[in-house]
Amino acid sequence: MTTYRFTAVRAQQAPGHDVFVFAAHPADVLSFAAIERVARTDDGQLKGFQRHQVASHIRDIRDYLTREDALLPNAVIIAFIEGVTVKDLSDGLVQVQIDVTQDSRPGFVVDGQQRLTALSGINKPEFQVFVSAVICKDYNELRQQFVLINNTRPLPKTLIYELLPNVEGLPERFTQRKFSARIVDMLNFTRGSSLHGEVRQHTNPTGMISDTAMQRLIMNSASDGAIRSLMRFDDREERAFQLVSEFFHAVARVYGSAWYGMAPRFSRLRHGAGIVAMGFVMDHLHSLEGAKERGQFEPGLRLLAPHTAWTSGQWPLEAWDTRPWNGIQNTPSDIDLLTRYLVSSLKKALRKPRRIANG
Amino acid sequence: MKFLYSDTQDYVDPGYDFLNDRCRPGRERYWSDVYAHEFMDPAPYDGLLVSMSAVRQAAGVATSKVRYSTREEQRLLRDGARQFLRYGGPRFKDTMLLGDCGAFAYVEHPVPAYAPEEVVEFYTEAGFTHGISPDHIIFACDLTNPSEQAVDAATRQRFAITLANAEVFLGLVKREGMPFEPLGPVQGWSPKSMAEAAHRLERMGYRYLAIGGLVPLKVDAIKAVLTAIRERIRPETEIHLLGFAKADSIHEFTGFGITSFDSTSPLIRAFKDEKANYYREGSDGRLEYYTAIRIPQATENARLMQGIKRGQFSAEDLLLRERRALIEVRAYDRGASSAEATLDAVMDYHQFLLRGDGTGAAQQDKALRKTAALVQRTLKHQPWKECDCAVCRDIGVEVIIFRSSNRNKRRGMHNLSVYHRHLSKTIQGTA
Ligand SMILES: [Zn+2]
Repeated sequence: MTTYRFTAVRAQQAPGHDVFVFAAHPADVLSFAAIERVARTDDGQLKGFQRHQVASHIRDIRDYLTREDALLPNAVIIAFIEGVTVKDLSDGLVQVQIDVTQDSRPGFVVDGQQRLTALSGINKPEFQVFVSAVICKDYNELRQQFVLINNTRPLPKTLIYELLPNVEGLPERFTQRKFSARIVDMLNFTRGSSLHGEVRQHTNPTGMISDTAMQRLIMNSASDGAIRSLMRFDDREERAFQLVSEFFHAVARVYGSAWYGMAPRFSRLRHGAGIVAMGFVMDHLHSLEGAKERGQFEPGLRLLAPHTAWTSGQWPLEAWDTRPWNGIQNTPSDIDLLTRYLVSSLKKALRKPRRIANG
Repeated sequence: MKFLYSDTQDYVDPGYDFLNDRCRPGRERYWSDVYAHEFMDPAPYDGLLVSMSAVRQAAGVATSKVRYSTREEQRLLRDGARQFLRYGGPRFKDTMLLGDCGAFAYVEHPVPAYAPEEVVEFYTEAGFTHGISPDHIIFACDLTNPSEQAVDAATRQRFAITLANAEVFLGLVKREGMPFEPLGPVQGWSPKSMAEAAHRLERMGYRYLAIGGLVPLKVDAIKAVLTAIRERIRPETEIHLLGFAKADSIHEFTGFGITSFDSTSPLIRAFKDEKANYYREGSDGRLEYYTAIRIPQATENARLMQGIKRGQFSAEDLLLRERRALIEVRAYDRGASSAEATLDAVMDYHQFLLRGDGTGAAQQDKALRKTAALVQRTLKHQPWKECDCAVCRDIGVEVIIFRSSNRNKRRGMHNLSVYHRHLSKTIQGTA
């Protein structure tokens, strides 16, 4: 039998429940507490309660925790049914004794399993975590605690995206999203921007253009389009903002009635699918015509205009697929079709006047 | 004879951290990654084939994981396939870039997913050097040569569509000023009908034919087809074999005047084959194969995760065994562990890939013994130590571990390079 002793702080909460907190090494925590993943016994009874490991989540945590300055202020939560004795010291302090026998660990990890797994895989012998412990009278109460403790609502995505530009030290996968969120912020809140106040965000609920569609446009361009060529500059954000803003200045001028003040349900140009597809038109005009400013985007957009059906008419997307102006939805396959239609119409239109010019 | 590899976005992260199984920090998919022709010198193929169905979504095209995203398709059309595939510059200046329609992706559809106009436009914009007219696969090849009346209407229709498309296609390519060399696709239900198709394509004006529908055929059947075709066409007409799965038997096909063929099998077999995962040039001029050592990631492998979810295995326990297997294999490579101990550790983990598959203990024991014998042979011969390709030099024993795409695709690239060298020798040997 192994015995662990900790000095802990006790909190007064529900009568008849012991709740206390102490610091411990993750390896020790895993030797006195088990992670009981949810499963079925052979006769179909539910056992355990924890969800399964999420490899990518663990990797993100591990990446962060390997950093020298990594902190983990929130506690992992362990529930005990037995195997623990608590002795009062003074000033709210208690002495906790945990007895681990050969074949069972008395504690159950209620919250923090991914963090513990992440920590167990890295070499940081001095690193301690807070353990917040609760003693339950039986397994049912323990499972109930688990559900209550984990029943927090995740933050809405749009709020996370709006917070992103101002948060440092995020996992790798957020960085692309963060860059585009930053450009959307600039587009929405810079005076003189063609999209000033137009993008719907948590702090701008009256905006009409979807923030996720604008972010998609910027991420597409940053990974495979015009904005990618700007990434090597120190002032890449300013340049990306200018490019997109100039493009939509031209869009507003050429497609005025389908643009100004229109809600997405009345104009496909302001709808998620239209915004994302027009991003590819921007990339195309930038790459093949060298367009950077509104005056350089306008001629191409004018050539494209007769082929569009933003507010009325029909889209001849393919030989066998003609749709009414509002028959395009915000789905990847519709965006793909609209993109291909717009870009190939634009290409053909650009080709014609050149042929004439070349005689 | 040119060997073309059919691109399915096969690139690897050159800075991958094998000990921690992580991509290099800051790695951007595609941009930071390298294709086999960038990683290896000489490049392990003579050209690339790109299927339109992998790039462009269309009605009736099966969705696949490796399909290009809209933004990638748009960039490919803006920049051209050569720049997109980073297959340009003086090193690859004269290499072949062949476009096809990827007829497998719409095989169940009554008509091809793309019309000739659309295909010509696509090949032209993407800047291919060669392009195949949109064909429609006919599967069954009957060596008894049944007549046209004896086959079903659907087969006759596929035959007719393929030829009618080819005629329109060639006219369009000529009208555009031959921006690429057009290939006429040969489809048929028998050697004789395929020879007939080849003959008609030649009469239309095609100088280069692509023979389709070979994938399910045995070596002898393919020979019968090629013999029949060669008898009906001019000797100078060039031949490409589409999706040639018998690439290993290439020495049997040197007499048919084949200009080019494409195959994915050396790369795909690195992770799709049951046991032939690692190629080696044998002493007798033939290819030899080894089993890669499977040590999948416990919390990412679908099979193991199922067992964990059902409560059959414990995740922590599997992680421990997984780590032990990796440590042993690496120690063995350094000479710090024995083949027996390594095999034990590998099989101790490997058993969980079989346990719980419902076939019963006796069946599982048998399968385990089989695998153990194959792994033992790999461990004993240590083939990765003999190879001096860029992959094996760079990552050593990791190449033989069957685990995550960065190892498996690298092993595929090694296979491509062994195969490419083997092919050159075969051709020289018969010249
Ligand atoms: Zn090698």
